[in-house]
Amino acid sequence: MNKKKGVSYAKWGYIFALPFCIAYLIFMVYPIIYTVVIGFTNMKGLIPPPLDFVRDQAGNIDLFANFRAILSDSMFKLNLGNTFLVWGMNFLPQIVLALVLAVMFTNNRTKIRGQGFFKVVFYMPNIITAATIAMLFTSLFAYKMGPVNDLLKTLGIIETDINFSVSAVASRLIVAFIQFWMWYGYTMIILISGILGISPELFEAADIDGANGWQKFLYVTLPNLKTIMLYTLVTSMIGGMQMFDIPFLYNSNGGDKRSIRTASIYIYEKAFSGSNWYNQAAAASMIMFLIIGVLAVIIFFMLRDKDEIAQHKIERAKEKEFRAEYKRVLKEQKEKAKGGAN
Amino acid sequence: MKKKLLAALLSVAMVATLFAGCGKKEEKVINVMAFTDEVPKMVQAYLDAHKDLGYTMKETIVATTDGAYQPALDEMLKSKDQAPDIYALEAAFVLKYTQGSASEFAATYDSLGIETASALKAAEIATYASEIGTRPSDKAVVALPYQATGGCFIYRRSLAKDTWGTDDPAVISQKIGGGSQSWDQFWVAAEELKAKGYGIISGDGDIWHAIENSSDQAWVVDGKLTIDPKREALLDVSKKLKDNNYHNETQDWQDAWFADMKGEGEKQIFGFFGPAWLINYTMGDNCGNDKNTPEPEGTFGDWAVTDSPVGFCWGGTYVASAKSAVENMSDDKKAVVADIIKWITLDTDENSLQYQWANGTFNGGDGSTKDTVASAAVMKKSDGSTGFLGGQNMFDYFVPAGDYATGRNMTEYDETINSCWREAVRAYVAGNVDRDGAIAQFKEAVKSKVDIVVE
Amino acid sequence: MDKKKNSVGSIVARFFIYFFLILLAALSILPFWIMAVNATRNTPQIQQHALSLLPSVHIKTNWAVFEAKSFAPMTGFMNSMIVSAGATLLSVYFSSLTAYSIVVYRWKFRRAFFTFIMAVLMIPSQVVTIGFYQMMYKVGLNNNFLPLILPSIAAPAVVFYMKQYMEPALPLEIVQAARVDGAGEFFTFNRIALPIMKPAIATQAIFAFVQKWNELFMPTVLLTDSKKYTMPMMVSLLKGDIYKTELGSVYLGLTLTVLPLFVVYFLLSKYIIAGVALGSVKG
Repeated sequence: MNKKKGVSYAKWGYIFALPFCIAYLIFMVYPIIYTVVIGFTNMKGLIPPPLDFVRDQAGNIDLFANFRAILSDSMFKLNLGNTFLVWGMNFLPQIVLALVLAVMFTNNRTKIRGQGFFKVVFYMPNIITAATIAMLFTSLFAYKMGPVNDLLKTLGIIETDINFSVSAVASRLIVAFIQFWMWYGYTMIILISGILGISPELFEAADIDGANGWQKFLYVTLPNLKTIMLYTLVTSMIGGMQMFDIPFLYNSNGGDKRSIRTASIYIYEKAFSGSNWYNQAAAASMIMFLIIGVLAVIIFFMLRDKDEIAQHKIERAKEKEFRAEYKRVLKEQKEKAKGGAN
Repeated sequence: MKKKLLAALLSVAMVATLFAGCGKKEEKVINVMAFTDEVPKMVQAYLDAHKDLGYTMKETIVATTDGAYQPALDEMLKSKDQAPDIYALEAAFVLKYTQGSASEFAATYDSLGIETASALKAAEIATYASEIGTRPSDKAVVALPYQATGGCFIYRRSLAKDTWGTDDPAVISQKIGGGSQSWDQFWVAAEELKAKGYGIISGDGDIWHAIENSSDQAWVVDGKLTIDPKREALLDVSKKLKDNNYHNETQDWQDAWFADMKGEGEKQIFGFFGPAWLINYTMGDNCGNDKNTPEPEGTFGDWAVTDSPVGFCWGGTYVASAKSAVENMSDDKKAVVADIIKWITLDTDENSLQYQWANGTFNGGDGSTKDTVASAAVMKKSDGSTGFLGGQNMFDYFVPAGDYATGRNMTEYDETINSCWREAVRAYVAGNVDRDGAIAQFKEAVKSKVDIVVE
Repeated sequence: MDKKKNSVGSIVARFFIYFFLILLAALSILPFWIMAVNATRNTPQIQQHALSLLPSVHIKTNWAVFEAKSFAPMTGFMNSMIVSAGATLLSVYFSSLTAYSIVVYRWKFRRAFFTFIMAVLMIPSQVVTIGFYQMMYKVGLNNNFLPLILPSIAAPAVVFYMKQYMEPALPLEIVQAARVDGAGEFFTFNRIALPIMKPAIATQAIFAFVQKWNELFMPTVLLTDSKKYTMPMMVSLLKGDIYKTELGSVYLGLTLTVLPLFVVYFLLSKYIIAGVALGSVKG
């Protein structure tokens, strides 16, 4: 009986987790199963033939034909490469800048004036729709008479206009820059909330030890930001692997799209253009899921250090202790009650 | 079954929250699906003029620019009870709905009660238009356009005078090899214009539509990717244009391209390839003449139309009706839908849409420009002279242009394949790849997107 | 204490810091300025020079296009508001609840559940897009706001964030203290945990609202009844097709679309700024 009461709070864990599960079950399970299944079928074209598993030319079921088709498609490899490249090019400067700004804005010794204004403004690029941003940047870097070209010419940096849109390097840089510019404010806000989550006592202790700003950043801020950094890295990686809007809409009717076409665009075009290869699009989606999953596991593994594991053990032990304590208290109370009754 | 359980769950959720589900189809409502308000406006105008019928319109407009029109239309067509009574199709993807994978969703004009064969003849609809709108499986017309989109060369009078001493369309036609089916004379003209410091066209996108439509073979022949020599020539044509500095290297539909219409580009540009709608929709507004200012400015009035070296057609909106919608219609409604479609695509009298469209009076004469229409019969009794062209009657050249154009070298995959091709050409012209590399890149891209044999 | 603060080097450094911050701020504001300016220009002006810093005089003409194109700002605003506010509320509330269930309670499948959420987070959105809208058409939930709102209950990224925030910010002792005082579990969550989570909730609410407000593809495919159109859909209708686009009114529409976002953003951003002041109370 005691035992039952001791874990009875656990039931609330299940109850509170329930809405998530129900919503997920209703809205996402069917679409996911649907996608997984059609990845193995012949579902192709706007009016697909009667649903069947993929078959080879002899008519035998060849379950993984769609997956093989994707993996052997050089376009998929190219687009996957673009995805990694553009994500990396935007994430590294983004996290550095966001970290610098976050530290600057949380450090009350630097005392940046108007930091509220800056914080609010830096997130603003994220408010406009991607379509608008893409439209503006397409015009900004337009060939012949584009403002950037005009500016570079006025400054005497170039003599004739540069055709940014047909250069692979320039196209990737621009898309990466847009992503960077749209998201560094977001990352900064996340990191600020992370730094604020660090107990002020840690900083005070460092002050007493005579640590300078850099040492405090290195030995207090960074290690304690690990969970939030993990969050940022994982969500950014997932977002980056699914990058779609900006590379899709930037230079939407011209330029070197080949070098900025991402895996998501590849999947979209497989399903919605040309021959409407729904089955291959589904297979490609699953491959992307696997890639993201493997990457996430690697990131978790890398950022999971000994301290945390030790912490974990301590936590478990504490939990155990707590339960034992709880049981003991209950027992005592019961006995007391018994005694009282007596 | 799992699906049914799911459906039940969802319907409960739906009823519980008192949201109106999909409405039951009401009689006396014409459902119109389109990607701009152009076709819905026409249907509304028809219903306004026939108030006694008691029909109203329910429009669904989904823009093509975000890539959602086709998925939405496909779902509607597949869903039987929501299939639109009338839907609009853009030339870029019309073949998918008239000859390709979605053509079986369309009702034939005849099944609506329109006598298509005789009406086509009486209205003198351009052959390419009925070719595009005819479904191969039963040789029946399922969609027709209201515009004629045969293309001409639209050029600047002042630059012509400066270069050749005349702006007479007949002379300029000879100068650029109009109707010659070859580009040789065009290059001569380009060189002569260059000597005067002018570019012959704005960018290689301009010449592409002419090259595309002059091809003898479609992109796909017997299930195989085929690069017609005339289309392959775009590689060399584009390179030649750039190497010789014959154009402003603009990209169609981007800032610099529009600026060239107003004569404010890097150098003055002699002309644009295009159908009449290019004037109506784009050039008219971009030449600098503001509708609110009475005095012509910019390049307004400085333009004229002449033959293109090779014939072509570009763009156009087609009108179709869904088979499953027609099957559920009352005879009364069917007659109305048929009459609307006929009024838009085949009628030729003075109240017909095309007559108003050709004479620029459809929108109540709010300054909308005249345009060519599908029916040559209408254009013959209309006056196509406009101030934009310095008083020239544009039908003189646009009507014959419809005859050069053909609908036989198109496939339902053209939208996809064309974009791959132009991307490869751009890479070649920019020097990113060599000629063979460009073709290899093109084939690689097509193979990944379209289920055809690529060798 | 730190007298170095007044040295020349420090002043130069501060100058560069401010210069840099102002540059970044200008880069953030510029697109809004261009957008608002373009709302006053006509289509040819924009087509020929998309970027201008000086307003023109065509705002009335651009507004007139709205009426001709059946662009109804009020209807669009209401629809967008229902969808975005509904989805945002569900998303932050239930994500907090889900995170709370992981952080506070020691139930058997806690870790497995969290791993599941992380796995869900990694599913590319393309995987579900096609199946999702086909399912909604099958069960007749197209032209209904529910499919756009209810799935927000399960927002894995928000749960992840809330969990990361809750772990240090919500001491379990408080929960236990509440229990000792006889508070029910739901009461503890609503009245004690949620207020502590306010900064995190405000932050995530901004992100969720902005994202939902700007969502285009799914609403476009699902909502075909013009009375149900959201604001971004109406703007995309103004674009129509590439051949004839009323760019001036598109930008006017975009400006109108972004205004409510501004209001929501600035209202909620107070929490972010206030949270900063709270956090830096020390020494």
